[in-house]
Amino acid sequence: MSMTSAGSLRPQSRWTAARREIVRALVALVIAAIVTLVVVFFTSKAPIEALTTLVTAPISKTRTIGLWIDDAAKLTMTGLAFSLVFQARQFALGVQGQLILGGTAVAFVALSPIGQTWVGLPLGIVVAILVGALLGFLPGIAKARLGANEIVSTLMLNYIAVELSNYLIRVQLVPPGSGLLTTDRFPKPSLYPVLVAGTRIDLGLIFAILSVLAVWFALYRTSWGLKLRLVGHNARFAEYAGIKPNFITVSAMTVAGAIGGLLGSMFVQGAAFGQLTTGFEGGFAFEGVLVAIVARNRPLAIPIVALFYGYLRQGAQLMNIRTDVPAEVIGVVAAIIILLVSSSFSLPGRAWLMRLAGRGGRALPAGSPLAGDGSQ
Amino acid sequence: MNELILTIFSAAFLATVIRTSTPLLLATLGGLIADLSGALNVALDGIMLIGCLAAVVASAHAPWYVGVLAGLVAGGVVGAVMAFFHLRMKADIIIVGFAISALATGGTVFGLSIATGGDKGTSINLPSKAIPAIDLSFLDAIPGIGPFLTSILSGHSFLSWVAALLVFGIWYFLYRTPWGLWLRAVGEYPSAPEAAGIQVTKVRAWSLVVSAALAGLGGAQLAMFNYIGFTANMTAGRGFIALGAVLLGARHPVGVLLAAVLFGAFDGLTTVLPGLFDWIPPELIRMIPFVVTILALVLFSIRAQRALAMRAAR
Repeated sequence: MSMTSAGSLRPQSRWTAARREIVRALVALVIAAIVTLVVVFFTSKAPIEALTTLVTAPISKTRTIGLWIDDAAKLTMTGLAFSLVFQARQFALGVQGQLILGGTAVAFVALSPIGQTWVGLPLGIVVAILVGALLGFLPGIAKARLGANEIVSTLMLNYIAVELSNYLIRVQLVPPGSGLLTTDRFPKPSLYPVLVAGTRIDLGLIFAILSVLAVWFALYRTSWGLKLRLVGHNARFAEYAGIKPNFITVSAMTVAGAIGGLLGSMFVQGAAFGQLTTGFEGGFAFEGVLVAIVARNRPLAIPIVALFYGYLRQGAQLMNIRTDVPAEVIGVVAAIIILLVSSSFSLPGRAWLMRLAGRGGRALPAGSPLAGDGSQ
Repeated sequence: MNELILTIFSAAFLATVIRTSTPLLLATLGGLIADLSGALNVALDGIMLIGCLAAVVASAHAPWYVGVLAGLVAGGVVGAVMAFFHLRMKADIIIVGFAISALATGGTVFGLSIATGGDKGTSINLPSKAIPAIDLSFLDAIPGIGPFLTSILSGHSFLSWVAALLVFGIWYFLYRTPWGLWLRAVGEYPSAPEAAGIQVTKVRAWSLVVSAALAGLGGAQLAMFNYIGFTANMTAGRGFIALGAVLLGARHPVGVLLAAVLFGAFDGLTTVLPGLFDWIPPELIRMIPFVVTILALVLFSIRAQRALAMRAAR
């Protein structure tokens, strides 16, 4: 199939594959940039100003650079979580719920007496990871044991997580009678240390870097990773080879859940929030789908894509604040990028070359298993 | 508790269920068509949302039926885009669905802001219209059950009746016409219809267009009858519940009708419960449809697993 790129099992073609992917990503970026240009020109009264803000604002100040790096670190985490399950060809979409309930669980630790001590920081992180892993495990075991569709179950869990978190915040975590939807600020010992003073760059950046390396090592240097990629590549072949796909499914979704939970801790214990608010996630988790798809689920490519996309997101946010173009324009751009990157638009060109060479016709006959349905 | 039972079996609640089930049923039928043709339409929720916005914006400037048509056509166009990227550009259908979802969440807010000149949350400044309710109060004349029939059947959206007819129409199409047979064959084993000279790609493309158009119609019902006007993310996961309803309904039109009505009933319950039990936290009430969907999915999967095991044993 197109997502777990074919080169992943053949190291000798790694560089050609990588070059093709980079070209494809660049073409998608250029087309997305053109679309942004057109949309801004049609919707804004001051298009030049809006575009200048989009392109230059994120690196204009130390503070905005901090926003960008912080956003990229978080995008890396959600992208990693999605890439892990996508590589196993599981379309689990539970990062949102894992993030929200992970962050909510942290608040219980941080706002308890433990949160005042040094234990608050590590315990909060561990609790978030465990909650996230549990939320990944449940749909995983339901898929492996019962064949319950993971797309539906994880999405339903996301909605449940949102409501549960809102309930816990309103009833349990907010000071009684205040009517607020935001908790007190977490005590200092429970917060991530800030790495660059005056910015949002904090311990979360280290976690993001470590997670990238850990996922890369797990996927490409362990037998678990090899099995996972084999299952994602061709589940039936993997089964004939003696690999238990069920174990891989459950473990991939659990590990991805742990990453999602850690991201929840990065949100609420980090410099960006330092407290728990209803709706703090704001649909962020699903940005990881774009990051994972554009990075072709390669762990080492994910931070690079996250840096690019984070820049675009921050530029759009600042454009939203300073000019008349709404930040939601990014949703449109994101959709176009996903469509272009996931479609093999090199194919018509290749078919044309083949025809020139006299081999005729289409590169893939319709009805061949490759040209078939989603299981290609 | 007695109040709850009385409420659930009241005619007013049955009428509520018909109302809440209609958008769900339309989207579920859309999901069914795509699923039978072999493509899982993950974008149902996003397409509904786009249908909502199209219907609201069009009906603000034109009669109500143009609004409904706009929802339908907007859905169909999105379906054509999906078909193009999936079938021509060979993109994975699930990824295409993700892209359409991203487009819908951001794009509808962006589109609303353009259509209203800056509003982002709701279309409160847009005088959008409603689908007229169909008055069947003449049923009162039937002796005995007349008033009961009226309270259940009268005052529903025009689209509720369309949806009910579509269940029958789609059943007839799928099981009594050659095109329905082609569609099911394409989803089941594409090589066979290919060998029989049927254009598999064409069947798939039309299935996606129809699937998305039905979801768009569901959006029109949602934004022009269940609620009047557009709110960001107003579908609240209905499209994903519809995806679950397709599975639960065993991929049969009548099955998905029952599944959609079941989920619609729990959706209706969330509107009734707060008035009856004010001590239940509203967040927990809003959770009900999603919890029920997961339970239904798990139970259905257990049953399907068991059926598979029995077939293997035989």
